[in-house]
Amino acid sequence: MSEDHQVSADQTPEGVVLSFDESIYPKDAVFGAAYTLLDRCFVHIDREGTKLQVKLRAKPGAALSTELLAGEFEAEALAQTWRRDIVRESQALIESVTTRALAGAAGPPGLDDLLDEDLGDLGDAFDDPLGIAVSWEDKYGKGEGTAADAATKPEPKPEPAVSEEPDEGKEGP
Amino acid sequence: MTELLFRVSLYSPAAIDRALEAFAPFADFERQMRDGVEVVRLTAKPGEDEPLIAGELANYVLGATVDGTDPKTVKET
Repeated sequence: MSEDHQVSADQTPEGVVLSFDESIYPKDAVFGAAYTLLDRCFVHIDREGTKLQVKLRAKPGAALSTELLAGEFEAEALAQTWRRDIVRESQALIESVTTRALAGAAGPPGLDDLLDEDLGDLGDAFDDPLGIAVSWEDKYGKGEGTAADAATKPEPKPEPAVSEEPDEGKEGP
Repeated sequence: MTELLFRVSLYSPAAIDRALEAFAPFADFERQMRDGVEVVRLTAKPGEDEPLIAGELANYVLGATVDGTDPKTVKET
């Protein structure tokens, strides 16, 4: 069986004892691996300094050698550790996607949401530096002949130019 | 009598409570706290297989710890 700094395995009369360096294999990963083998062997976990010590003992009637159990446990512990790393690395992305999905499900933002939104250098959402939102009356005043009235009033049709004087040159003899 | 040791920094005491309750029909238990370790001494009831009960009890505590870890009850050392 393997014998290095991260994992070691020792055969005992009762079963096998595995030691995992906790800085490489976190506690949760080792517990997760143990959980998957609960139906096939008896598992006990203890701590020896910086190492987690896992004692495996095959259940009566289980057709599995302790060596096979130890190998399976090591593989599962590695998989659990790797899975945790993947989750940690992609956590920001998962949170971002989830937040966007929830925000999309909540529908378009209301007026209060827009007012509360921080636009950074763009200033307030309802800033109007060009005065576009100022009404016509406020800008040009009410009453007489505004340009709006002029725009809406129909223009008088020009009278057709009719000469009242008879065209003397065309008269017959 | 069989003695089982559960380090409190690894196993949840609440999980040990649940396990002892579940296995009460099969064995008698004594429980003691010693240097951050929960010591459970079990004596199987007549007709029961003590090594089997000890193994299954340890598995139950481990499973209950994974299933329902309560951060208030598990202390990191």
